[in-house]
Amino acid sequence: MSHEAESKLPTKLWGGGRSPFNLEYGKLMMWIFLLSDAFTFSGLLIAYGSTRYSFPAAENHASIPFGSHIEMEELHQYFTPSTPGAELAPGVQPHWPSPELVFNHFPFLHGHHLPLLFVSLMTFILIFSSVTMVLAVEAGHRNDRKTVAKFMYWTIAGGIAFLSCQAWEWTQFITAGANLKDNPFGPVAFADLFFIVTGFHGFHVLSGVVLNIVITSNVLKGTYEKRGHYDMVEKVGLYWHFVDLVWVFVFTFYYLI
Amino acid sequence: MSSSVDFPEFERHAPDPEAKKDIWKTFWILFGLTVVDLAFYFYIPSGMTRNVIFILLGIIKAYFIVGTFMHMKHEKTAIMLMIIVPVIFIMALITTALYEGYYLFNLHWK
Repeated sequence: MSHEAESKLPTKLWGGGRSPFNLEYGKLMMWIFLLSDAFTFSGLLIAYGSTRYSFPAAENHASIPFGSHIEMEELHQYFTPSTPGAELAPGVQPHWPSPELVFNHFPFLHGHHLPLLFVSLMTFILIFSSVTMVLAVEAGHRNDRKTVAKFMYWTIAGGIAFLSCQAWEWTQFITAGANLKDNPFGPVAFADLFFIVTGFHGFHVLSGVVLNIVITSNVLKGTYEKRGHYDMVEKVGLYWHFVDLVWVFVFTFYYLI
Repeated sequence: MSSSVDFPEFERHAPDPEAKKDIWKTFWILFGLTVVDLAFYFYIPSGMTRNVIFILLGIIKAYFIVGTFMHMKHEKTAIMLMIIVPVIFIMALITTALYEGYYLFNLHWK
């Protein structure tokens, strides 16, 4: 298909008349958009890093055995809550909470200390949906419409699963008493940044799911088969992988460090 | 078929028969690195060393996601530089902001 086109390409890369990046216009623009989006997320990470370092560090509570039964009340000794009306004793510093004590829940296993298990599951779901996305792109290179559609379904399912997990995580955190002005686990900034960073990322996942649904319906209609290439699948694929990439760093900075 | 060539100013990548193998290899690497993250979380006491390990693992994961999944390994050097160089400045800014946070810490609590 492209032999005729190739022969017309000027040989000089920067001599004009061709894309020096050898990329389709829309894909180049997607890369530039992703770079600008990376700036936005970096702004949040910069705010997070400097805010976190302006508070005393969390202590490591690895002494609580994994899977042991523990109630929220017993964990309170590890936190310095900042809620209006609950003044800290003089000399007590509101230290940043340890993520393993805040995020230690798992659905149907209430009251057990299972730190990071749920968020790891979310990470694996997102990595796996990234794999199905890239498999859809690969099938698109071979103009295999059915396989593209199949892997797009899996990607959408992964995105919805991730969003459901995040909704559950938020519900846990909110029912524990956290919101934008109270935080039973430590400085209010911890809750603020949690909601803003994971919320902004979750909004990206939601947009990605919507884009994937639009593209899948076009795949099913045969729009790209008629067009002769599946570049649109590649473009939403780039966006989807970026969302996965951002989660890698949210996971690292918010839950691990 | 001439209508299918919307943008004759670039060459499309040919389908790569090795692509699927590469994708699954990358998946297992990412899976393994996340498991390593968790192992380090539970077996290394918290501190600067552990944080540096987590950040390095994050950068390695980013290399595999951007390189294989986003196909950056096969793109022109110009686009690689266009995307990667600004990110280096971002990392410098994050490091600077951490020092700023540490200064605020001293101001508030010391």
